[in-house]
Amino acid sequence: MTPGSEVVLEALDLGHAYAPGRYAVRHLSVELHRGEVLGLLGRNGAGKTTTVRMFTTLLPPTEGTARILGMDIRTGGRALRSRLGVVLQAESLDFVTVERNLTLYGFLWGVPREVAKSRAEEMIELFELEGARHRKPWALSGGERRRFQVARELMHDMEILFLDEPTVGLDAIARRRILEFLKRRSRAGLSMVFTTHILHEADLLCDRVAVMHQGRLRALATPAELKHRYAGAREVSMSFRQPLPATLTAALGRELAGRGGSSPTTEPDPVGAGTSIRFRVEHAEELLPWLTRWVQLQGLELSRLSVEEATLEGAFLGLIGDLPGAPETAPGLPTPGAGT
Amino acid sequence: MTIPPVLRLVVRNFASNLDPLTVLIRFGQPAITIIVLGTMFSTIISSSATGGGSYTSFLVPGMVAFQMITGGVVSGNLFWLDRRWAMTEQIFSGPFRRSEYLGGLVLTTLLFALVGVGVMLLAGLPFIGIPSLSPLAIGTVLLTVALGSVFFAGLLIALGSRLRSANAYFTIQSFLQLFVIFLSTVYYPITSATPKVLAAIFYGNPLTYAADTIRDAFAGTLGGGDLVSLGVLGGLALVAFGAAAWGFRRLDLGPIQ
Repeated sequence: MTPGSEVVLEALDLGHAYAPGRYAVRHLSVELHRGEVLGLLGRNGAGKTTTVRMFTTLLPPTEGTARILGMDIRTGGRALRSRLGVVLQAESLDFVTVERNLTLYGFLWGVPREVAKSRAEEMIELFELEGARHRKPWALSGGERRRFQVARELMHDMEILFLDEPTVGLDAIARRRILEFLKRRSRAGLSMVFTTHILHEADLLCDRVAVMHQGRLRALATPAELKHRYAGAREVSMSFRQPLPATLTAALGRELAGRGGSSPTTEPDPVGAGTSIRFRVEHAEELLPWLTRWVQLQGLELSRLSVEEATLEGAFLGLIGDLPGAPETAPGLPTPGAGT
Repeated sequence: MTIPPVLRLVVRNFASNLDPLTVLIRFGQPAITIIVLGTMFSTIISSSATGGGSYTSFLVPGMVAFQMITGGVVSGNLFWLDRRWAMTEQIFSGPFRRSEYLGGLVLTTLLFALVGVGVMLLAGLPFIGIPSLSPLAIGTVLLTVALGSVFFAGLLIALGSRLRSANAYFTIQSFLQLFVIFLSTVYYPITSATPKVLAAIFYGNPLTYAADTIRDAFAGTLGGGDLVSLGVLGGLALVAFGAAAWGFRRLDLGPIQ
């Protein structure tokens, strides 16, 4: 299921100040659609957890509004929370075995005993907790605790799931399994807000990504859009079957300079007898048609052409990496909350 | 059938936090006190010093009153552990109100104290037999323990809601227990020979009122003074519960140590 048009979460100018003038989050405007996975990215202290805590009614906003499933987060209370799921960043554990923890949590949420029992089995299998079934939380590894915590939250039904760094401490396989499971659930209509420091995860899971910095929304777009817009210069490397004369290298350098590329560096092709060149350029894909035409016009023959993959990490660094102190809005960036 | 949230929380409190060893120690310690201290002191303390009966018959009502501490400490610790292990945050992000969580703790306290009363009576059974209590006396005993438990639970929950260090919480809690138990009439009566300063401190201690009232209920000598004691306990319970509710409203759910 692709994200629908129904808005399940809508925040407008939302903010929280811990003390007068000391904002953890400010002017946050964002929407979440049914079945959509929204990633919240940002450095430590960017305001991601505060945002999740406001959305889940654990922390009252000091300014702005937010409506979730049609209810105001200030007044929605239990009626609202009963339709949400929350995997906290902090480890939250009860001192009983993993299996009992799961069924007990189901009981707390009012899940019928038989349903809770079968769901617990499903979660134990899905999250590879069979070996930990009869162990108590303190006997679990960090990864097991995290898996358990995600599994426990899935014991009850919900319409929106908030996950605050759910994959911290997990190995690559466990992380992949959880992400794939979450992806399946989102396709089945579960909306999610997902915070992470692992940008590759956001790329895999999120339909849209909100990049926060020092409490403010800096960009809100799909991962592809973000990569396209902010991934910055990427390396293009080409190998020719024949040696490249210096005059051609210089000519290419001039052409690239006019197209925002860096000066090419040349070296003998380590595989063949020709020349390899490398340069960096923004929006490399847009340059490729011109580049292949130029190669043909010069009567050259390519043996290899590769473009460094655009990553969300590159986009994130391009967007946040150079931001100084606490600017109100970084120059040239979309207005926070513009919903780009 | 939908179980009310408060009861679901009570079940969870019992299931998740009360491991058998803790329960054994909580009930076993006062029970052993009755058996060992009662037996040993009965041989050296004259019955005139304890109002006519054996020391054990004096001690059993005291240990019944002691259950208000047991119940209170259980809830205080439960709350502290929930805070420490982020379960308050997890529960508050679920379909529960803070008042329900607080209500769940109080109910857990009461149930725990009630079980404790039963255990103390069982431990005293070989020494004093089945106490013949009138319905009024039974009601008074239960009400006294209930009010006292709410008082101590409220006190410790209020404390636990403000402190951010486990060390500080458990140190203060241990000190409070020691102070409250030994400066009360649980183990010894106030007599004309009791130093006036100590007697004054004893009478500033809610456990003294509880122990004396329960003793009167056991002896069948309930009177106006006991009504005053219940009033004092009720007032203190109200104040402590109010403090706990206040602490809850301002509870910072952030990480603690």
